[in-house]
Amino acid sequence: MAGRLEPHLEALRRELRASDPAVLSVLLALLAVAITFLIWRFIQSRRSSRKAVLLLGLCDAGKTLLFARLLTGRYRDTQTSITDSSAVYRARNDKSANVTLIDLPGHESLRLQFLERFKAAARAIVFVVDSVAFQREVKDVAEFLYQVLVDSTVLKNAPALLIACNKQDVTMAKSAKLIQQQLEKELNTLRVTRSAAPTSLDGSATGGSAQLGRKGKDFDFSQLPMKVEFVECSARGSKGEEGDADFEDLEKWLAKIA
Amino acid sequence: MLDFFTIFSKGGLVLWCFQGVRGPAAATAPVNALIRSVLLQERGGNNSFNHEALTLKYKLDNQFELVFVVGFQKILTLTYVDKLIDDVHKEFRDKYRNEFQQKGTLGILNGTFDFKDDFMRLLRDAEESSRVRAPTVMKTFEQSLKSQKTVKCMLETRGEKPKEKVKNKKNKGSKKEGAETVAAPGKASVGEKQLSAAGEKEELTKDEILQKNREEFFRRHMRAGEKSSKSPKPEAQKEKGKKPRVWDLGNSNAKVLDYSNSATNGSTEACPVEEFDPDLGLGDRNREPGRLYDLEYESNDEAEEEKFIQNPTKPSAKKGGLGGMFGMLKGLVGSKSLTREDMEPILEKMKDHLIAKNVAAEIAIQLCESVAKKLEGKVMGTFTTVTSTVKQALQEALVQILQPQRRVDVLRDVMDAQRHRRPYVVTFCGVNGVGKSTNLAKISFWLIENGFSVLIAACDTFRAGAVEQLRTHTRRLNTLHPPESHGGRTMVQLYEKGYGKDAAGIAMEAISYARNQGFDVVLVDTAGRMQDNAPLMTALAKLIAVNAPDLVLFVGEALVGNEAVDQLVKFNKALADHSMAQTPRLIDGIVLTKFDTIDDKVGAAISMTYITSKPIVFVGTGQTYCDLRSLNAKAVVAALMKA
Repeated sequence: MAGRLEPHLEALRRELRASDPAVLSVLLALLAVAITFLIWRFIQSRRSSRKAVLLLGLCDAGKTLLFARLLTGRYRDTQTSITDSSAVYRARNDKSANVTLIDLPGHESLRLQFLERFKAAARAIVFVVDSVAFQREVKDVAEFLYQVLVDSTVLKNAPALLIACNKQDVTMAKSAKLIQQQLEKELNTLRVTRSAAPTSLDGSATGGSAQLGRKGKDFDFSQLPMKVEFVECSARGSKGEEGDADFEDLEKWLAKIA
Repeated sequence: MLDFFTIFSKGGLVLWCFQGVRGPAAATAPVNALIRSVLLQERGGNNSFNHEALTLKYKLDNQFELVFVVGFQKILTLTYVDKLIDDVHKEFRDKYRNEFQQKGTLGILNGTFDFKDDFMRLLRDAEESSRVRAPTVMKTFEQSLKSQKTVKCMLETRGEKPKEKVKNKKNKGSKKEGAETVAAPGKASVGEKQLSAAGEKEELTKDEILQKNREEFFRRHMRAGEKSSKSPKPEAQKEKGKKPRVWDLGNSNAKVLDYSNSATNGSTEACPVEEFDPDLGLGDRNREPGRLYDLEYESNDEAEEEKFIQNPTKPSAKKGGLGGMFGMLKGLVGSKSLTREDMEPILEKMKDHLIAKNVAAEIAIQLCESVAKKLEGKVMGTFTTVTSTVKQALQEALVQILQPQRRVDVLRDVMDAQRHRRPYVVTFCGVNGVGKSTNLAKISFWLIENGFSVLIAACDTFRAGAVEQLRTHTRRLNTLHPPESHGGRTMVQLYEKGYGKDAAGIAMEAISYARNQGFDVVLVDTAGRMQDNAPLMTALAKLIAVNAPDLVLFVGEALVGNEAVDQLVKFNKALADHSMAQTPRLIDGIVLTKFDTIDDKVGAAISMTYITSKPIVFVGTGQTYCDLRSLNAKAVVAALMKA
């Protein structure tokens, strides 16, 4: 084997000596560029691996309080968020895998902008719903959920979706089952009305060209390409501000996807 | 005296809160209202906001993303609040700088911010500084300017009356002076001299007046004497027979006083041909006969203005030479925080750019002000220039404004109303000629395509041909969608009562007719009216208040410029003033028409949504039935920011 290599190496050495040094240097430079390019690509792919869990929802759903409780376990006063907040969350069962929790503002004028920014990095989405005001807000909740679901990036990546029915400590809160049924009904109507809306100014359809679920059949969350789960939780906790929050299901789910 | 003082991060976590007079949790609702109406709607120009009985003042820290808000009763006027906020800002930032810089969000979450003692100290200092100020001493008369004026300069030589007034004033003044002179004997001599001089002057003037009067009297007497010499003659003649009255203006008789043209009005004499000066009549001799010339506008003024503006900026550019270069390098690498001066020129340019794109001037100014407030003190990342940061922030602000604050889904709401077995009523209002009837036809076409039956109420009872226009549209729509293809029911029908009737009454009748016949939607077309025509605005407000429509759409054309602000403000004001309800019905949405006539000067969309904070529901892009679109915020902002 060494014998076969030797003449080749000799030939290579002779050729290198014979060739013009300028050509050599150009070849070396190209090689360096190619290696750098590969390394850069590798780093990019590492960075863009989706490690974020987004907290979405309407205004006053309880996202920021949930965010604070998950990270510190303590109760904090909150105001309407204007920008996003992000921090690294370590799952309870010490799996040493950690995700970045990102709390996005829920206000109507901001929510789509921030969703645009972070949707590509989302490994999972937690959609927080105010169970007490749900009956009043069902149309707005459904509209936001629809906008999230028909987004092309979300459909392509299919991050796991958890719908957290918050504020269960209040007696009038609706159960997760009821919320699921109502949302399915509302989304069923929405996909008809949104696709019938006038087309946008630059020609693209408003609701995205994607069809939610299967045509002809009533909408069901099982028809979506991603896994959808419903849990009940309470960020404030049944004991008020001093006690812990009631969100074991939420934590279990987070540990599962981490 | 303060109600509360909160410090919270822009991400929503409250770092520290001071409850003054009221109990806890009295701060949340007003602060949320502040955030929603001021910060999120880019009205951050002035930093105070009124909410019910409270006044809220706020300050943004853009470096560490904090917001400082103080609330106090509106009726109090506390002068130390601004200074207090600045002081608290500085202290808080310096004290907890580490937490923010190193630990980021977790630092905010885990940190305890024990700021109470510092805050109480700052509050006490601020209150004392506002109280400790010597009461202002009033100026004495000698110190004022009035005592140094002489009487002469105050006199007017027009007539006697002003002098008399001055005399009275002088008397009062002299009385005062007398009192003062008792107190200040040093100045007494001067004062007395002035008095005496003034007194003499007055007496002199009195004499002068008398003399003048006498002269005039004599003069008149002389004339009178002459006249009196004349008078016995006519009197003597008078006794003989009646003579025509002779006026003083000379011996003019009727003939001379007759100015009427003897030749006109029925006489057979031809009018004297006036001398027609062709030069005066035709004007420019060099014009070609029969040709219509263009409007010539003067562009000289604009060129001069530009020159003036350019000149002052040139020297400043030269000064910035070397320092600017290093500053630029420094700005490219490392952390440079933005200051007002850096942003000023760029914001000016952006403001002019927005105005050139047909955004109303005052809105462009307010927007730039709000963006400046949001960026002040922010730390730029590496390799970002000031221009790019400002442009990015402005773009985000514009997209934020165009995003609807409420759900915009007409079909969904119509379905809801269908379920409750009542018609969904939409009213169109706007000024003259914006395209209400045309867009009403387009929207009814869209509704029919989606399977809803429409009743058009012709409440424009003023404009000639309005009812016929709607009748033509109805006929066309029925041809396009005949009853056979929709299960035998007429999809669109016109409800009209001719011209001259009361619009509100017709609308009410149309709605009850629709309810009886089972129509899904009622579209009410009103007459165009100018926003400062008070009786017409009252009539429109009455129509809306009485009929309580589900959707009030204001139709505005995209060509409008600064007028948009005035129109919307006055329409909303009229609707609010004439409504009896607690929460008056205002404009719910905007229809932007004639969008195909503007290429990228799309600023009217921004002006309208900024003023009302209501969404643009439809956009009209032509005159056929298919030219109805919905707004795409990103495309509009891209067209707006395009160079």
